[in-house]
Amino acid sequence: MTDDHEHYEAVVVGAGPGGAAAAAALARQGVETLVLERGVDAGSKNVSGGLIYAEESAPYTIDSLFPDFREAASERPVDDYYIHNVSGRDVKTFDLGRIHRHDTDWCDAVLRRKMDSWLAERVHELTRETGGGLLTEVRVNGLLRENGEIVGVTCDELDPITADLIVAADGVNSELARDAGLMDWDEPDDWFQGVKAVVEMEPDAIADRFGIDDDEGAAHLFSGDLFEGVRGGGFLYTNEDSLSVGTVFHLDSLAAERAEPHELLDALLTHPLLDQWLQGEYEEREYAAKLVPDSKKVAHPSPHRGRLLLVGDAAGQMQAQGPIIKGMNHAVTAGGLAAEAYADAKTRGDPSAAGELYEAKLNEEGVMDQLRPARYRATRSVSESDLLGTIGDAVIRSPIGAAGLKAFDGAIERAFNSPFLLGMVPDTRFSYVTLPTRIGEVLGEPVTGDNDVEPPDLADRIGDLTYDVGEPHIELVDNSFEASGTAVTACPVSAVGFGGGCYREETVRTNGSEERLVSLDTQPCVECGTCAIVADTEWEHPAGGKGVEYEQG
Amino acid sequence: MPTIDPTDHEIADLGPEVNGIDDVEELEAMLALEADGEDRGPVRTLIESRIEKLRAADEEEDADPGDVDLAELTIADVANMVRDVDDAAVLRGLLEREREGKDRSGAITQIENRIEAVEGSEGGDGEVEYVPPEEKYPDLDHPTADKQYVEGTSGETYRDMWVYCETQQGELIDVSKELLGKARELMDEYNGEEGYGGDEDGTPEEVIAVVIGDDVVDLAEEAIAYGADRVVYHEDERLERFRHKPYTELFAHMCRDFDVDWRDYHEPRYTVFPATNNGRDLSALVQGELDSGLASDCSDLYIDEAMISNPAKTGIPGDSVAFDRVLHMPRPDFSGFEYSTILCIDKPHRDFHPQGASVIPGAFDLPDPDPDREGELVEHDLELPDEWFQIEIVDHDRLEGGVDLTGHDVVVALGRGIGTDPTKGIELGLELVDAFDDAAFGLSRGVITASYQFGGHVADYVSEERQIGESGQVVEPAVYIAAGISGAVQHKVGMDESDTIIAINDDPDADIRGFSDYFIEGDLFEVLPRLTAAVESGNLAAVAAEASDD
Ligand SMILES: Cc1cc2nc3c(=O)[nH]c(=O)nc-3n(C[C@H](O)[C@H](O)[C@H](O)COP(=O)(O)OP(=O)(O)OC[C@H]3O[C@@H](n4cnc5c(N)ncnc54)[C@H](O)[C@@H]3O)c2cc1C
Ligand SMILES: Cc1cc2nc3c(=O)[nH]c(=O)nc-3n(C[C@H](O)[C@H](O)[C@H](O)COP(=O)(O)OP(=O)(O)OC[C@H]3O[C@@H](n4cnc5c(N)ncnc54)[C@H](O)[C@@H]3O)c2cc1C
Ligand code: SF4
Repeated sequence: MTDDHEHYEAVVVGAGPGGAAAAAALARQGVETLVLERGVDAGSKNVSGGLIYAEESAPYTIDSLFPDFREAASERPVDDYYIHNVSGRDVKTFDLGRIHRHDTDWCDAVLRRKMDSWLAERVHELTRETGGGLLTEVRVNGLLRENGEIVGVTCDELDPITADLIVAADGVNSELARDAGLMDWDEPDDWFQGVKAVVEMEPDAIADRFGIDDDEGAAHLFSGDLFEGVRGGGFLYTNEDSLSVGTVFHLDSLAAERAEPHELLDALLTHPLLDQWLQGEYEEREYAAKLVPDSKKVAHPSPHRGRLLLVGDAAGQMQAQGPIIKGMNHAVTAGGLAAEAYADAKTRGDPSAAGELYEAKLNEEGVMDQLRPARYRATRSVSESDLLGTIGDAVIRSPIGAAGLKAFDGAIERAFNSPFLLGMVPDTRFSYVTLPTRIGEVLGEPVTGDNDVEPPDLADRIGDLTYDVGEPHIELVDNSFEASGTAVTACPVSAVGFGGGCYREETVRTNGSEERLVSLDTQPCVECGTCAIVADTEWEHPAGGKGVEYEQG
Repeated sequence: MPTIDPTDHEIADLGPEVNGIDDVEELEAMLALEADGEDRGPVRTLIESRIEKLRAADEEEDADPGDVDLAELTIADVANMVRDVDDAAVLRGLLEREREGKDRSGAITQIENRIEAVEGSEGGDGEVEYVPPEEKYPDLDHPTADKQYVEGTSGETYRDMWVYCETQQGELIDVSKELLGKARELMDEYNGEEGYGGDEDGTPEEVIAVVIGDDVVDLAEEAIAYGADRVVYHEDERLERFRHKPYTELFAHMCRDFDVDWRDYHEPRYTVFPATNNGRDLSALVQGELDSGLASDCSDLYIDEAMISNPAKTGIPGDSVAFDRVLHMPRPDFSGFEYSTILCIDKPHRDFHPQGASVIPGAFDLPDPDPDREGELVEHDLELPDEWFQIEIVDHDRLEGGVDLTGHDVVVALGRGIGTDPTKGIELGLELVDAFDDAAFGLSRGVITASYQFGGHVADYVSEERQIGESGQVVEPAVYIAAGISGAVQHKVGMDESDTIIAINDDPDADIRGFSDYFIEGDLFEVLPRLTAAVESGNLAAVAAEASDD
């Protein structure tokens, strides 16, 4: 039976950093490797905020696998790192340089279209030498099983392919991880939603307004009361000739507050604090969004099943260390370890042991500890309970609390800079909103500038994106407002009262009775994955090459 | 003294700098400076790894394949190295060392491939002994053993390029014409001085068109205008629709058994078919029946010679043999990611003719017909036995062409403004359509994808066939009436070339106002009936005048 199918020693699904790392490491071991990517180009589907870290302690970094990476594929090295605690116009800024540089060999801002497509070319060169290669516009739509065992993948565009090793590096909305029963799409509090705008800015203006040279970059984080109480924060990173400005929120909070992601992004973009950098000019190159897994909750402790190994976001390996977001670097490490595990297993004459070895390596190399810190697990049950939040709120609101804050000004900054303390920051409103707001209020100075930029509305943002419209890829299973109404607000390209979005609320009258329904048009979809979780849908990716195409990412 | 003193720099800045330096001594000097200074670990690693890389590159350049240590090389390195080695003995040495050493299958394949490329292939001199497949693999099924026409012979004659001209609805379909045009071009070249100057005896070869169907003699003549020298056609009312058995039998008979004076050859040299649903079926069946191969879904064709070293084809190991007049049939693999060129070449003990291809519609330009071209019509005569028609067509249907909204004087289009009473909205829109002599009814996508529930009598009107815009139809009527449409850019591109645009919207800030000639601010449920009445009474101008003129 297997003989009927095309066979490769390894098939890697997805050409993001995880897939690229796995494929390069496999190819270097001489493993015949085929990489399948659904985008028209690698990176055309991908979004991140944009800081890729090379950690000193990591067994693999992107430049150890792709030597010219920094010169060819990244934007700027980022050394300056600040967090702004905002309360109205009052802002208190902390320098988080220490935590940013902790265990950091280097850190660069990246744009994913440029980065991933460059990686893909290298991957293609490397894998070709082994008799494989990288194919774009191929969507893998499931696992091929024989007698209940995973033996390969099935695709929309190609005949089924068998392999001795299948690496699912297909990102946060991994269809393979779900097909294998390793991940699910049930709980909003397992995920963040990230939304971002790439904003044009000449290198001279960047140099001027950020006080940096052409080969320097800056990162600014934002927290406090600018986001209507939704738990999360904002970021701003400098690229070569643009800024990446975005927000990352806990999906459960976004859903519960019925917040509109694009409005929260606009709240950041139009805050007076940003005037010092935007100075009245605003030209948006691209609007983008994607879910982000929270490794503390979903990093799979045993991310493999048979020949299938999960890597990167597909395995939930995305670490939010306080404001610092580390997904790409862990995807790279995991990709390298998966390849190493397979090579080891082969040397031992038992390729099927790759999964076990991979899991062992994730633990030995300390990756799992970073992703799921024991400290967090220990503090979570107490600190995330509402009770603690309420007590914390009350204390911090009191005059005594304010005095305490003042007294500990420097200590707070140091606390932020401690990886140990950041690792146990609880996911409560208290730590995301109340505390930073109070810091801004008590310790902050008012910002003076007036920010009058006007970010484009949703219709224009959608209009500026490139789509190759294919068959609808999301099916609305239950169109009642109760089941799926949250998507009207949580979908980053939908909004209440906006007819041009994916999800729209409608009131339908039949025989005198009124029903509140939602309808779905997948054409403006940016494939972020949000509605797979907050609405009752059958969610798949579009076929290869179809759907949205990011130019920046 | 190196150009950069690392101790003056932050680590982050040093990466690009260090990687730009190609001089090992300079790097070593930097390393020394750093060691005397802060001696930062990452900086050391950075510089050291650069040095290592440069040294490795040097070694690689100098590596002598005769004694290189293979264990030091990656498979990619091995692949790059062997590419430049032409000496089989050196390659064999490498192979042996790799086998004794790391024994990586990827490296071995690379070396073996190279050996094959320089030597032709493995094995000694002399002919390959021919063993018929039935004897060589006695355990396998050999369905071809029962086939009447499997001929182990060679030395037959083959001529001409045959083109199957598919018809639909009593017309030659475009791809048939495209193929005739291409065949003409190929055979003109083939017969010309730059080509082969005709067949082996110098006689020009022809383009033969095949037309099968009911009442097709006119189409046969048309085939000449598109480039055929001769058209073999067969008419029979039972052939009105494509059926596998009779079409295959007929085609095979025409090119193998049809006894006429102009074709004294065994079989066609080349056959080409359209890669349509029917053409794909027919091509596979005919080529199977003629015991040859088929390259399906080709995107180009050309005739050229080919150097072949595969002993299965040449019969002589080690040497490359030139094959003449080979039809090269490139076709996309892996959804267009790469191309393979398929060749269909005789074996020493078995001929593979006709060399057959099916071609994707649109791969070649549609030629202009030349009504003055001369050619010969040949009616194929054969009694068609009844058993060829055992499969009966009981019903057939032609898919609707869909709704065509173009070419009308007026288009009335409705948007989500009908949301409060969608059924009523559609009714009002249709009434306005009826009031005009020549109007079409269109919709925004927003309506089509809504959860609205429509009354049965209007539900059929709500489908993607009526969508106007980027992913729907593009219309340019004299008058475009948009009611309850906001004017999203994806809708706009489908209608903004209309001469006069009238928008009805209750929101004075709706985007559509910006590209409307007349903007009627109001509730469409009130405005539409008034418009209808005005059109019916010939008073449209009055209503338009009432509207604000933007
Ligand atoms: C707004 C935002 C900000 C972020 N900021 C940062 C940051 O600053 N630093 C950081 O390190 N991380 C950041 N992240 C997280 C980071 O982007 C991810 O962790 C990282 O991209 C994961 O890499 P990956 O290789 O696992 O998956 P991805 O990069 O998502 O790659 C998956 C690939 O698989 C392909 N694919 C998916 N399904 C299929 C299929 N069925 N068939 C074929 N191909 C398929 C996709 O097209 C894609 O190319 C951020 C994320 C967001 C959304
Ligand atoms: C890739 C892509 C391709 C697309 N392709 C197409 C396409 O081909 N065609 C297309 O149409 N769309 C297309 N769209 C969708 C398009 O963006 C809009 O969503 C859609 O056109 C909106 O439809 P609408 O104007 O009917 O709805 P809305 O934008 O909701 O507008 C409804 C309008 O009706 C007005 N209104 C409400 N009530 C009344 C009333 N009682 N009387 C009068 N006015 C009223 C409102 O003020 C509003 O202006 C595409 C989108 C994408 C992303
Ligand atoms: S439809 Fe779903 S997947 Fe698409 S953009 Fe909206 S929330 Fe994201």
